[in-house]
Amino acid sequence: MVEAKHDVLIVGAGCAGMRAAIEAHDAGADVALLSKIHPVRSHSGAAEGGINAALGNASDDSPEEHAYDTVKGSDYLGDQDAIEILCNEAPGDVYQLEHWGAVFSRTDDGRIAQRPFGAAGAPRTAYAADITGHVLVHVLYEQVMKREIPTYEEFFAWKLVMNDDRCQGVIAWDLLDGGLKSIGAKTVILATGGAGRLYVGTTNAYACTGDGMALALSVGVALKDMEMMQFHPTTLSPTGVLITEGTRGEGAYLLNSEGERFLKRYAPNAMELASRDVISRAEQTEIDEGRGINGNVMLDLRHLGAEKILERLHGTRELSMTFAGVDPIYEPIPVRPGSHYHMGGVDTDVWGLTSVEGLYAAGECACVSVHGANRLGGNALMETITYGKRVGRHAADWALANTTIEVPQSVEADAERELKELLDRNEGERPWSIRDELASSMHENFGVFRREEQMRKQGEIVEGLRERYQRVIVDDKGDVFNTDLTQALELGFLLELAACMVPCGLERKESRGAHARPYDYPDRDDEQYLRHTLVTMRDGTPQVEWKPVTMTKWQPQERTY
Amino acid sequence: MHTDLAPAPGSTTIEIALKIWRYDAVTGDKELKRYEVEAPDWVTLLDVLDIIKDKHDGTLAYRKSCRMMICGSCGMRMDGAAVLACKTRMYDIAKSGHVPVIAPMGNLPVRKDLVVDMEPFWNKIRRMKPWLDPGYEEPPEKEWRVSQEKMNVIHKEALCIMCGCCVSECNSMESDPEFFGPAALAKGMRFVGDARDQANVSRLEDYNDEHGIWDCTRCYFCNERCPKGVDPRDAIAKLGAESIKEGIEHDMGAKHANWFVTSARTTGWLRETELVPKTQGIVEAIRQTKFALNLAKHGKVPSPVPPHVAERVNESRLLYSLVKEQGRDGALGIVQGEHALGRIEFTEQAGLKANDPEVQPVVEPPPAEG
Repeated sequence: MVEAKHDVLIVGAGCAGMRAAIEAHDAGADVALLSKIHPVRSHSGAAEGGINAALGNASDDSPEEHAYDTVKGSDYLGDQDAIEILCNEAPGDVYQLEHWGAVFSRTDDGRIAQRPFGAAGAPRTAYAADITGHVLVHVLYEQVMKREIPTYEEFFAWKLVMNDDRCQGVIAWDLLDGGLKSIGAKTVILATGGAGRLYVGTTNAYACTGDGMALALSVGVALKDMEMMQFHPTTLSPTGVLITEGTRGEGAYLLNSEGERFLKRYAPNAMELASRDVISRAEQTEIDEGRGINGNVMLDLRHLGAEKILERLHGTRELSMTFAGVDPIYEPIPVRPGSHYHMGGVDTDVWGLTSVEGLYAAGECACVSVHGANRLGGNALMETITYGKRVGRHAADWALANTTIEVPQSVEADAERELKELLDRNEGERPWSIRDELASSMHENFGVFRREEQMRKQGEIVEGLRERYQRVIVDDKGDVFNTDLTQALELGFLLELAACMVPCGLERKESRGAHARPYDYPDRDDEQYLRHTLVTMRDGTPQVEWKPVTMTKWQPQERTY
Repeated sequence: MHTDLAPAPGSTTIEIALKIWRYDAVTGDKELKRYEVEAPDWVTLLDVLDIIKDKHDGTLAYRKSCRMMICGSCGMRMDGAAVLACKTRMYDIAKSGHVPVIAPMGNLPVRKDLVVDMEPFWNKIRRMKPWLDPGYEEPPEKEWRVSQEKMNVIHKEALCIMCGCCVSECNSMESDPEFFGPAALAKGMRFVGDARDQANVSRLEDYNDEHGIWDCTRCYFCNERCPKGVDPRDAIAKLGAESIKEGIEHDMGAKHANWFVTSARTTGWLRETELVPKTQGIVEAIRQTKFALNLAKHGKVPSPVPPHVAERVNESRLLYSLVKEQGRDGALGIVQGEHALGRIEFTEQAGLKANDPEVQPVVEPPPAEG
């Protein structure tokens, strides 16, 4: 039974999803959002530091410089056409957010304040204290409410409806009331965010299980650069909660057990404001060589003074006090690298369109690719806004020019049957041990540094876990708020993604950005690997292919900070 | 080193016991079930619920997502007080031997276990027209120019994560489910106080409606239990002040407040005898004559003539002028209940002693019976 039909159905309601919804609505389309959590609960809200746009409020700046920094930061794996679009449209898109009411921090003359961020040539990161993502999620939701855009709240998207080689809707599990619901749509935009839950130490929310990537994969769309998982250098020990790069933007130091600012040996010029991949590797090296403290290094804010910490890094202090028992005014914060952001994702063009007609992706779940092998801090929020807008516009225009939606009954029947099989199973294994083994083994074998033999081992581990997953059991057989079921389905998604990431890592026989192989391929190899990996599933087996990187005006150079 | 902080993560485990109100959505059955788990010493309430769900009972229902106090999913009650499960460290509670009772948030219909229906909550938020209304003014080519000082006016309201903890605890809403409530009104203040918003008068008129700002009983539970320092009651107070400033004072609550101010400015003492006619009007006052006489007989109201004037009435008048001089920006500093964090934050600079009750951080609710 098809519940409803829309021109544009957006799966995921974080910054990218809501920005797309607003744009599609304003273009005249009948648009709806669908999300497994309420829109303001989205993990975009956890972004702390800021959003990059060359506004030039803190110093001279230009979209061109923003683009260059992004290209260089991506270790030249970013598609330069996509990057130029982002950087050119960013200032206007940030002004738009301000006009909608975003509570940005201000300069002395009342303009949007901007702070320095890693690997940026100018203080380019517009911010709202250290709750920028929170502020943006709420301002976008305000605009969604203003437009009365219907939202399928707490609907878990489980299947894409394919018919006539087009994506024509979504089959979702209704969390509050139970049951599978099909929602037809002329276009579907995937905006489900990342898959950080693949790792045990992660900044990501429980909701970040890569649903959109797995959905795209399931209908034959390729995932791009899946080996590129960013490890954020300052995640709080032991929970992995994010400590914003804004701390370093404000001048915090990273220290090893000897009290040394060790980055002088890794990035003597940029120091704490080097690129994230560079700092994460430096930290991991210090820890591995015995200069860590209980597996951590220390982030020291004390010299910034109480006033600056309270005014600009209030949230950071709250997190440190709550989760690590440390007040950064008086003590350094124990931090270590943790999985943070997936540069890889659903392969799209610069309008977010995938290889399947009617299917789009935006935000972290997409790979346009703006971030290449390493994302700069502050560029993720900007991508969600600029590409959310572009995708919303394109999907609306396409939907308004095309008419039919048909959800074949067989698609619904297949989904019902598969679900019943899972719920009827009473003999087998609970999902949590598979989930925990996946997350700890990915951390161990596919983390900051990668070794050939460990990656091969990880491939085998993931295969074993996929096998065990076939016999997974769900305790809760009920209809109302059955997260036992949805968590099991999420684990299924994560396993598919892990299976895709490992072979991409093996195939990329070089070190570039987040993919570091110091033991066998320590250097970047532009001759062979200045290209994207593309992975698809064929009969349950991942297949890796290659796709050229789009270059416009920047030739690869050695990347130092 | 601060001893009042939660312990730094170690490698030991602790035994934790909880009682959880289970609610079966289909049968309507309720049951208080006890669970015991072993967990690392750094765990939060949310981590404990996860362990129970994974290893003991997969049917336990609760919301969660970010586990870092920003998504607002995991509001629930521990020992009768609303908390974010992800913010609540269990170490001290477990060590004390106390077995806390975990229940869903109050004032919202329960769907299953710890999951409430948030729809009534969101309906009230929507009722506030919670989006910036810049009027007919065309936005500038770049950003609106607004000073940081003006943005600071809504700093606390903008921290709100819509978790519902304040609504759960709201005493007014318990007696009047239609009361707009602390979260919605704080959201309202977020726009009334925004220098870019041009709809503040119509907003204030709207928020002055029945079930609006003057129905707050000022119990301060919302301020007390808000996990983010939003201080919704302060936001409601600011809306009251803004309303009166705009001449929106038709509600009895506004008249009541006005009379307090007038009394303070003129005689320094509250003139109770005149409070009823000034608040509820002459007709209602006459109806209450018998009640008033009864009070007078017991010495509860002074005679209206001559008006009793405070000995140091000038002090009261000076206070009045001071408050009057402060605009919106000043409102931040003068509203009662300015959050305790601020006081802790500057403890050392201000030379205050850390054991001063004024500067104690918010502590977890004390162990209750059972």
